[in-house]
Amino acid sequence: MSSPTVASWERRRRAIVVALALTGIGCFGLSWLLPWWTFHLVAPQYPKGLDLVIHLTGVQGDVFEIDIINHYIGMSSLGDAATFERAWSGWLVGGLGVAVLGAVLLAGRRVSWLAAAVAAAFPLGFVADTLYWLYQSGHDLDSHAPVRIKPFMPVFLGEGKIGQFVTTAWPNIGFYTVLVGVALLLFAVWQRARVCRVCPVHDTCGATCPHAFVGVPR
Amino acid sequence: MNPSVSILALLMACAPENAGQASTSGAGPLGGTLQAIMTERGLKEEDILAAAKTYTPSGKLDEYVIMASGGHGGNLIAIGVPSMRILKYVAVFGPESWQGYGYGGLGDKILYEDSRQGGKEVTWGDVHHPNFSETKGEYDGKYIFVNDKANARVAVVDLSDFMTKQIVANPLVMSDHGGAFVTPNTEYVVETSQYAAPLGGRYAPLDEYDTTYRGAAMFWHFDKEKGRLDQEKSWAIELPPYMQDLADAGKLESDGWVFINSWNTELSAGSEGKGKPFMESGASQNDMDYLHVINWKKAEQLIADGKFDIINGVRVISLATAASENVLTFIGEPKSPHGCDVTPDGKGIVVGGKLDTHATVFEFSKIKDLIEKGEFSGKDRYGVNVLDFQKSIRGQQEIGLGPLHTVFDDKGFAYTSVFLDSTVVKWNPNQLGQPVEALSVQYNIGHIMAAEGDTVSPDGHWVVAMNKMAQDRYQPVGPLLPQSFQLIDVSGEKMEITYDLPIPLGEPHYSQMIKADKLKPLQVYSPVGTNPYTDEVSPHAVTAGQERIERDGKKVHVYMSVIRSHLSPDYIDVNEGDEVTIHLTSLEQAYDQVHGFAIDMYNVNVSMEPGKYEEVTFTADRAGVFPFYCTEFCSALHLEMAGYLLVKPRE
Repeated sequence: MSSPTVASWERRRRAIVVALALTGIGCFGLSWLLPWWTFHLVAPQYPKGLDLVIHLTGVQGDVFEIDIINHYIGMSSLGDAATFERAWSGWLVGGLGVAVLGAVLLAGRRVSWLAAAVAAAFPLGFVADTLYWLYQSGHDLDSHAPVRIKPFMPVFLGEGKIGQFVTTAWPNIGFYTVLVGVALLLFAVWQRARVCRVCPVHDTCGATCPHAFVGVPR
Repeated sequence: MNPSVSILALLMACAPENAGQASTSGAGPLGGTLQAIMTERGLKEEDILAAAKTYTPSGKLDEYVIMASGGHGGNLIAIGVPSMRILKYVAVFGPESWQGYGYGGLGDKILYEDSRQGGKEVTWGDVHHPNFSETKGEYDGKYIFVNDKANARVAVVDLSDFMTKQIVANPLVMSDHGGAFVTPNTEYVVETSQYAAPLGGRYAPLDEYDTTYRGAAMFWHFDKEKGRLDQEKSWAIELPPYMQDLADAGKLESDGWVFINSWNTELSAGSEGKGKPFMESGASQNDMDYLHVINWKKAEQLIADGKFDIINGVRVISLATAASENVLTFIGEPKSPHGCDVTPDGKGIVVGGKLDTHATVFEFSKIKDLIEKGEFSGKDRYGVNVLDFQKSIRGQQEIGLGPLHTVFDDKGFAYTSVFLDSTVVKWNPNQLGQPVEALSVQYNIGHIMAAEGDTVSPDGHWVVAMNKMAQDRYQPVGPLLPQSFQLIDVSGEKMEITYDLPIPLGEPHYSQMIKADKLKPLQVYSPVGTNPYTDEVSPHAVTAGQERIERDGKKVHVYMSVIRSHLSPDYIDVNEGDEVTIHLTSLEQAYDQVHGFAIDMYNVNVSMEPGKYEEVTFTADRAGVFPFYCTEFCSALHLEMAGYLLVKPRE
């Protein structure tokens, strides 16, 4: 066995890991531009239905009309929800990208799984945050509203009914894009573990990789 | 197989899964049910066929839209075809409270001020002839123009929101009839006088009928950018007092020309209090009246060259100039003519004589030739050159008693309404001779109309008979009966009446039918705060949070927003005698979310379509407490969409 071939294969394998990671991060970036979740509301007087489309940067669709309907039961305006998250979502996605790339390149073998954990936290965080705001909007009802209803949890996935409105909710392309990104990153981390297993310094590396992962040690 | 039988077969075939449970008749249950209904209601197979052609199930839209004159209702009626469902009345010359037209809003200026004739307020109209705006001789679906015969006015209705946007009062004449016809690219909307009178609204005794009484053809210039008639750029031609009647603009080959009928070459002014015959016989003595042939492109040049007089602020080409320049020439036309309709190819002009049994087809190329060669058979008493009748015509078509108007289909046929015979007669203007078919209609047909039937490319299929009498056709509702529209299918071998529609608000004259997909009406006014009369966002429109009341001495300005289910502010406090202006902005953006705004006892009601800006001005001259509220059932809390105007009495 000639060692140059092994070294070159190792180098290529490391490049693949980085490429996978960058593509995964790219999916995160792309998802920032795409719709993540869709709510479709149908009522007798809205035969074509109303749409609410959640982006990381804000809510789009028939927001104005849904706000008018919601005000009757004392729900606050959609514009008032998740204002912090929307304002900082760009920084969050950018920061996640840097953190993931950092973890892939710089983390030592024992902590390299952090990249996958950070990545997986992104969609889970979105779901948790959306559930939180849905809960808020269905429970924090204006007590002076014309129509008083029991606090409720709006539907997040599948179909639900409030008054004459049947709401269907499902993930949109942005959410799937992020799932693809997470899958790519999980795969990258797994591949990296295989690279590290044959690394000469794999017993001795600490929190950081001494050769910044891409620099194959002699 | 007879087509109606095949329809029945089709209906029966629609329910094959039920065929096993067939009733004793042997037909499928649908067929059996249908047969039972037919027996019970006394329906014939052709009735079922007519129903199948016109019945439009819920949710299905019509293929065509008729815009019909509402006659002395002063409005327009939008009707879907083939369903014949009435879609909307569009208020034009009279107030209409649902549309908030004439009840305190911005439309009041058009209705009560711009439309004044000689300073007099007129709040009704006798709507005669609606005409769609045209581009290259085709309806373009942007505007529709109508004339008011009684008060010589023309209105512009915007088809983006089906609202009246302008009324102009003709400063020259006292009544009109030949209007509102458009030239093929809507360069002009033509309005021709009916009852002669001294031009400009002056006084002259009837002795001066032949010397002072005149008619006029007004050419209203249409500014397509603004969508308004521009009086500054409009002009007219003085005409003899022959009582001009219907008119039509030439197209294609005859573009640049206008043709107008007349029916009083006798110069009858009725009895004149001197025992002369009534106009009905006084104006019916001559066997021929005069078809007026106007070269409007040449007239336009005369105006540009300054060859005009100014009468009551309008540039008018005098009768003498029009005659000497051959801008106006005459041809004899038999007798007491009414309809004057140019064929789709622009080559023929069809004239129906009310007291004649023929439709006469004039040949444009012959007319043009004679005028160019200066080959005239004489002059009338006002010096207008007259062309020889026989040399000007293609021929005459035997029609029946009282032919009036003629429309055209896509296969080259003409359809003429025949008043006294109460028929629609189908014939071929290029093969004069035996008519193809006569169909009885109920009753006394006046105008007739075909799908895009007066454009350069008629669509065929549908013809509508607009009948002056209903007689036994509908449930009696007292001595004043509705008028009657009959929808005729002309697509087959034989013409068939498929639907009778009562018109319960006036005597419609003409109407036009446009392909529905040419109409692209707005769903909401956008951006929010759009003033429909300027198509711009009003500087007084508000957004949420800007609502306020401003006081300046006795003037009070209220800036109010309108949205489900509140009016904000909902409390207005003024002093007796204050002049109050309420600036209303609908913040709604959803289709069909319409509000109204009414103030009790103050004769105020305006319509607030989504995104619309309106403005209500009134003097608070009655002290007291006046609720105001939303007049459309906009939401479950519609009744609660209300507030109070408090007018504090003077000390």
